Amino acid sequence: MKNLLSKDKWKYALHTVSHPADGFYEIRHRDRGSVVVAVIFVILFSVAWSVNRISAGFIVNDIDPREVNSISELITVLLFFFLLCVSNWSITCLMDGKGRLKDIVIAIGYSTLPATVCILIGTVFSRFVSEDEAAFYTMICGIGIAYTLFMMLVGIMTVHNFTLGKTIITLFLTIIALLLIVFIVLLIVDLINQVYSFLYSIYQELLFRA
Amino acid sequence: MRKTTRLKRILGVFVLSVMAALPVTPAGAAQEVPYDTYNYNYWEDVVRTPAAYTPEGSVSGTDVGTTAFKEPRDFCISAEGEIYVADTGNNRIVVLDSQMKKVNRIIDTFTVDGEEDRFSAPYGVCVSENGELFVADSNNARVVVLTPQGEYKRVVKEPKSEILEDDFAFIPIKVTVDYADRIYVISKGAFEGILVFEADGTFSGYFGTIEVKISVWEKFWRRFASKEERSNTQLYIPTEFTGIDVDSEGFIYASNIDSEGKQAVRRLNPQGKDVIQKGENKNVGGDIRYSNYGDYNGPSEIVDVVYRNKGMYSLLDRKRGRIFTYDKEGNLLYIFGGIGLQDGTFQTPVAIEQNGEEIIVLDAGRNVIMKFRETNYGSLINDAVGLRYNGDEKQAIDKWNEVLRLDENNELANNGIGKAYLTAGDNENAMHYFELGMNKEYYSIAYKRYRNKILADNLGWIMTGVIALIAAGIVFKKIKRRKKGIVREEGLL
Repeated sequence: MKNLLSKDKWKYALHTVSHPADGFYEIRHRDRGSVVVAVIFVILFSVAWSVNRISAGFIVNDIDPREVNSISELITVLLFFFLLCVSNWSITCLMDGKGRLKDIVIAIGYSTLPATVCILIGTVFSRFVSEDEAAFYTMICGIGIAYTLFMMLVGIMTVHNFTLGKTIITLFLTIIALLLIVFIVLLIVDLINQVYSFLYSIYQELLFRA
Repeated sequence: MRKTTRLKRILGVFVLSVMAALPVTPAGAAQEVPYDTYNYNYWEDVVRTPAAYTPEGSVSGTDVGTTAFKEPRDFCISAEGEIYVADTGNNRIVVLDSQMKKVNRIIDTFTVDGEEDRFSAPYGVCVSENGELFVADSNNARVVVLTPQGEYKRVVKEPKSEILEDDFAFIPIKVTVDYADRIYVISKGAFEGILVFEADGTFSGYFGTIEVKISVWEKFWRRFASKEERSNTQLYIPTEFTGIDVDSEGFIYASNIDSEGKQAVRRLNPQGKDVIQKGENKNVGGDIRYSNYGDYNGPSEIVDVVYRNKGMYSLLDRKRGRIFTYDKEGNLLYIFGGIGLQDGTFQTPVAIEQNGEEIIVLDAGRNVIMKFRETNYGSLINDAVGLRYNGDEKQAIDKWNEVLRLDENNELANNGIGKAYLTAGDNENAMHYFELGMNKEYYSIAYKRYRNKILADNLGWIMTGVIALIAAGIVFKKIKRRKKGIVREEGLL
């Protein structure tokens, strides 16, 4: 655990942001990444997201603050992150990807850092803009998110040792796998619910007849 | 023993005081009304509001000393304040006094060239500024014009023109007259718009045609449809107008049933162009939120419009019995009314007018005129909107503050106060109220002024700071260089 949170790991995460291709290569082949740091980054991203929704300036913020629930947003983001990693892993396994689940987690986790930073900067900036300057806010956040997506692409590509074309196909399949997983989970939940209600009604029936 | 009696006494006093307090409601509390009163906020969610108008009883035919109305379809108010009711089922026009206490006269016959003539299902009625009566005599396919004395003056017959289709049937259902005595007639099934006649009764053309909108998606599907399928699908015909009124500037307000619920009223300029303002929500179609299934589903069906004053107008919805009131900018001011069997609710609302402070609605199902009186809340909003219309924003601020006391989150009130502060130059307060009123456009104006003021006031400090920073940077660099130089020299040694 200590090793996973050492100063070197943190420094290397920042190095990865500035040198994605090299960074992710070393993560895959020399174990310089850390899953714990990656998960912390995802949590930070979720926090930044909620902070943005609650306290971005009035001009750019269309969200009813009463509707923001940062805990449920955190759970959603973590769940989505987990699903994305698992579905990507299951697809890349079939497509001769060289990455381990650990590498995928790190690649996606580290990629969220630019978005987190830019969203936070944008949130602060948005409190000092008028309506016609709101485009700058959109630009700041847009750059962050675009860089995050770029890093994700490079990350997935590097850890699996894919070509660009194959990576894009994989990502597309990943989304389909994700939807499949969600569908199956919903199906199971519904099934369990029905079994439960069936058993419960038997129990009630017995209770009334006894 | 003693203790229990004391306890009992205390309890008794407590119960008594609670019972005494119960019937006393705080002043200004919302009256019980038999319908929902609400409005839509920035997020287009329903927000409950106090009632702007409360039911004030109804007037039937027997109440005013004549036989009962039979499916009355329209009414209007003359310049003298008399109320003309088109008693469609009884083929007569009933004229009531402005208090709606008694019948002034009943018009059911008139003499044309010495022969007695009668109405047949008079659907619409209108009185011009100089007191002439216009009756849309639907089954006789004509508009009858009578003098203020009730004598026959003219009829407007079925128009003959090349622009009309061959099978055009003239069934006038609503009629109105502007300051130049031009006659505007809504004819049943005339999708091309309102028929306009000159004062002498000659047909001058259609007016205010509603354009048909076909979405890209519908076009896309039509491309793939076969000829048979195409003929089977619904025709893209514009909707009919349902009600008309003239405002103080001579513009025509015309309502229609919009299947999309976006725009149910048009304000037509003399060229027949729609110049209505649609407000923040880009919607003047009644209800914004509605269910798509079950009873009372779908968008509102606006059957009549009344121009009130100071740019305000009200729409009458026959589907859910609501009355929507908008200001000149198209902001929804308040909503009241409902369908039902209770007193104060409608069965088949067909026409709406303003009689002094009251709003009156004609119900063809109950055969009565329903009266609604404005509450404190309603009159405050009416007054504030009127003051703003006159450009008296400073005076409106007190009214809006009163509105806020009754309805804390009223966005209109917050915006009204914000605008007053903005014109007064108090940017900080203006920003506060615009934020509460969710008005980004005006907030930006206030914020820019506020920011410029802060920058201008502190320019000296800011410039000093910037110069100091630059100077510090230069000095720092020099020191660093000198240190490096020393190291290098040492290295040389």
